Amino acid sequence: MITKDVAIIIPVYNEAEVVAAVIKRVLKHYKYVVCVNDGSKDTSSEEIQKTKAYLVEHPINMGQGAALQTGIEFARTLPVKYFVTFDADGQHRLEDAEKMVSILRKGNQDIIMGSRFLGTAPGIKASKVVVLKLAIKFSNFTSGLKLTDTHNGLRAFNRKVAEGMQITLPDMAHASEILEIIAQKKYRYKEIPVTIEYTDYSKGKGQSIINAVNIGFDTLLRKFIR
Amino acid sequence: MIILIQIAVILVALVIIVAALVGKQSHSARAWKKIALCLLAVAMIVAVLFPSMTNTVANALGVGRGADLLLYVLTVAFIGYALNNYLQQQNQRDELNRLARKVALLEAIARYKN
Repeated sequence: MITKDVAIIIPVYNEAEVVAAVIKRVLKHYKYVVCVNDGSKDTSSEEIQKTKAYLVEHPINMGQGAALQTGIEFARTLPVKYFVTFDADGQHRLEDAEKMVSILRKGNQDIIMGSRFLGTAPGIKASKVVVLKLAIKFSNFTSGLKLTDTHNGLRAFNRKVAEGMQITLPDMAHASEILEIIAQKKYRYKEIPVTIEYTDYSKGKGQSIINAVNIGFDTLLRKFIR
Repeated sequence: MIILIQIAVILVALVIIVAALVGKQSHSARAWKKIALCLLAVAMIVAVLFPSMTNTVANALGVGRGADLLLYVLTVAFIGYALNNYLQQQNQRDELNRLARKVALLEAIARYKN
């Protein structure tokens, strides 16, 4: 069974090694896969073109948040009802995405987010747990929501949220921004446990701890300007 | 008297930071920035021509030496400048991103039309 009313949105930046395999895995279950190549310096673009996924090419590197926004805007033009954001390095499981969409289909929620702390994350580094826990406290504080995992790339939402989403923070700070949008527009949200499979490949690509300073500064500054 | 200058510097610093943050680049905000820049330039010329004057002003404000007063003024001016610049740069990046996104979407939609 191939699902035809869901668009899987995958932001891609320098993922040539794994991206084609991840896309092929997703395409087995979903008709619409939208990849946004965020100005990769490697052969990610060629790898994506080998598959049947839609490819949107950023002319310059703009950051993951900007790539998500582009993917959402492209996916809006497709005949789909639901939208799923998915990481290109293959750390998310399709079963989890499927579960999220099935909750959306019941119509009581607008956006479903994955939480690795409700679920499991085998192989996660202890230092990453500490940083993530701080990030969660911070994001809950700035957005006013109560979540157990605020920086999880796996999210599913309906068309109302897709039409209303306007991410302006280009880098990892978009995770906090999405939560602020959810709080502001009063979307009905739910968290479900998901499993994140940390491979050596995905571990090597994680966020550096010091970057949290940038994210925190930008998010607070925004808050202050508003 | 010491307290007076301390309060004054902190207040001016806060006003500049808030003005830099809240100011949405309106005409009046840009005009005030230019006026502030000119005043700073004039003050610099005066300070060079009459070095003793900075001391007089500093003493009147309760700061020990003119050099200290200069340092305070410059620090406040620099923080205001840096924040203002950072925010402008972010706005420009946002505009650039929107433009690039439009280009990317137009190109992709045209490609998949067939």
